[in-house]
Amino acid sequence: MTANGWCQIFVFLLVVLLITKPVGLFLTRVFNREKTFLDPALRPIEKLVYRLTGIDEQREMRWTEYTVAMLLFSGVSMTLLYLIERTQKWLPFNPRGFPNVEPGLAFGTAASFTTNTNWQAYVPETTMSYLTQMAGLAYHNFVSAAVGIVLAIAVVRGIARRDTDKLGNFWVDTSRCLLWVLLPVCVVGSLVFVSQGVVQNLKTYTTAQLLDPQTVEVTGADGKTSTQTVTQQVIAQGPVASQEVIKEFGTNGGGFFNVNSAHPFENPTPFSNFFELLLIFAIPSGLTYTLGRMTGSERHGWAVWAAMAFLFLVATAALYWAEARGNPLLVGVDQRPSALQSGGNMEGKEVRFGIADSALFAAVTTDASCGAVNSMHDSFTPLGGMVPLINIMLGEVVFGGVGAGLYGMFVFIVLAVFIAGLMVGRTPEYLGKKIESYDVKMAMLAVLVLTFTILGFSALAVVERFGTAGITNPGPHGLTQIVYAYVSSAGNNGSAFAGINANTLWYNTTTAVAQLLGRFFMIIPIMAMAGNLASKKIVPESAGTFPVTGALFTTLLVSTILIVGALTFFPALSLGPILEHLLMSAGKAF
Amino acid sequence: MLDMIFIAATLLAFAAGILYVRACEKLRGTKL
Repeated sequence: MTANGWCQIFVFLLVVLLITKPVGLFLTRVFNREKTFLDPALRPIEKLVYRLTGIDEQREMRWTEYTVAMLLFSGVSMTLLYLIERTQKWLPFNPRGFPNVEPGLAFGTAASFTTNTNWQAYVPETTMSYLTQMAGLAYHNFVSAAVGIVLAIAVVRGIARRDTDKLGNFWVDTSRCLLWVLLPVCVVGSLVFVSQGVVQNLKTYTTAQLLDPQTVEVTGADGKTSTQTVTQQVIAQGPVASQEVIKEFGTNGGGFFNVNSAHPFENPTPFSNFFELLLIFAIPSGLTYTLGRMTGSERHGWAVWAAMAFLFLVATAALYWAEARGNPLLVGVDQRPSALQSGGNMEGKEVRFGIADSALFAAVTTDASCGAVNSMHDSFTPLGGMVPLINIMLGEVVFGGVGAGLYGMFVFIVLAVFIAGLMVGRTPEYLGKKIESYDVKMAMLAVLVLTFTILGFSALAVVERFGTAGITNPGPHGLTQIVYAYVSSAGNNGSAFAGINANTLWYNTTTAVAQLLGRFFMIIPIMAMAGNLASKKIVPESAGTFPVTGALFTTLLVSTILIVGALTFFPALSLGPILEHLLMSAGKAF
Repeated sequence: MLDMIFIAATLLAFAAGILYVRACEKLRGTKL
């Protein structure tokens, strides 16, 4: 580890801290329908949208109507994406003439982008037409992010309001989120990316003649190996910048290219790398301030932020340490950092980012439910690879996905105040609302759906050929590949231990089901809790009220998150990355 | 054929979601 590396990590966290209040304040104003500087330009468009679609912007919805509207919207969007993928051959903006996406992959991809997961079991630049990328995938990058954000806002309203059964209007919130928050930032942000060298065009791919032809061995469908001389390189391009910005800002993570943010056309410079990281954390961090502001307890918002920041620093430090110390099996190889090399374990990492920025990116992308990568998690050391896995297993509540991080954290907050209530023998309260049995039941349903989905599908996959066939490394590493696939899917992250071959009917369909369960069957009980809380009266604070604003609350919240995560997933971790680390220390690699 | 199956699966998944919403709402009025 180097001072330079630590400096970059701390500067990043400092900038995240500095933008939290302005972003949170802006989000509060947008969703409270207060005046913003964008109103003169956007309010007429908003009114036109409502007039064309027949939406009464004054009408608010109960939690059931809000949630059903979200489900219908997502269901229709997912079906449309499936149809675009299945018909892209006959549609415009397909300069390479790609065929229609095969049904299993189209279904998996449709579920993946609808749920904000963006798990990609395909090579985008050789599978998806420009139309599919723009009208199908990028559209979902916007709307799935907007859905996450507005659900979090509805949950915050549930906490803040009293004696009502209304949580807002799904269509109004979604429209305002798209118009005021996502589109303006993406217009400006994509130009920033273009300034750094990210491409943006609709041209067909460029073919370049190699100065130094390469000889490669190719294995054919019959299993026979032949030698081929490669004299040309096809350079993929397309409307990348416009997709890159929402990929991070909406914590989507689905890359225009297969190697995602490791590709120089997606992430060309250290500044673009920093900008991507900042975009990922901007809304999730800002939402903690929104929580405090809308509930009238800014200190509570900062206490939640502190819990997130602590877990982020611990994970980043562990990951940086694991990768910087290198691979002990490479005896005699100089793995120390110097002016000429990054040092450490550089397999699967870009030289222009080195160890610190790769570790930071991996921590950020899995703390949030983004899933973009600038290095290959499958190539990390066993303990280094375990950190992203744990981040997702904890529910991606460390800042988390846009909206999803906050409403996921809300579950842990409810559990934390419930535990605190049990310890002092009083009915637990949260910001003046009594937490009763219905709320805790709903919180547990939200926690259990992830556990059930991840461990259930992983267990099936490791005992049958249809699951193990996708493994590319034997032993504990293979188990980690499978567990990571379902953790990433159910957690709606989308990053992968990329060695696994997930483009099979089994993985395409089961990861899709895991994504749908992880997204919608988690949010439904959370919305039920929010609806229930909104209808409650405010109980005045008393001497027995557990404060949710100080260091004690932050410590209890962090402990609850770690205990729930550890109790649930430690056996899987011990058989995967921990065993792999111990065997590596004994001289055996996988 | 597969197209029909996947589209039906999509619609069923979201129908199940709506039923889950109703179940959670019903549970609210129930003492367990």
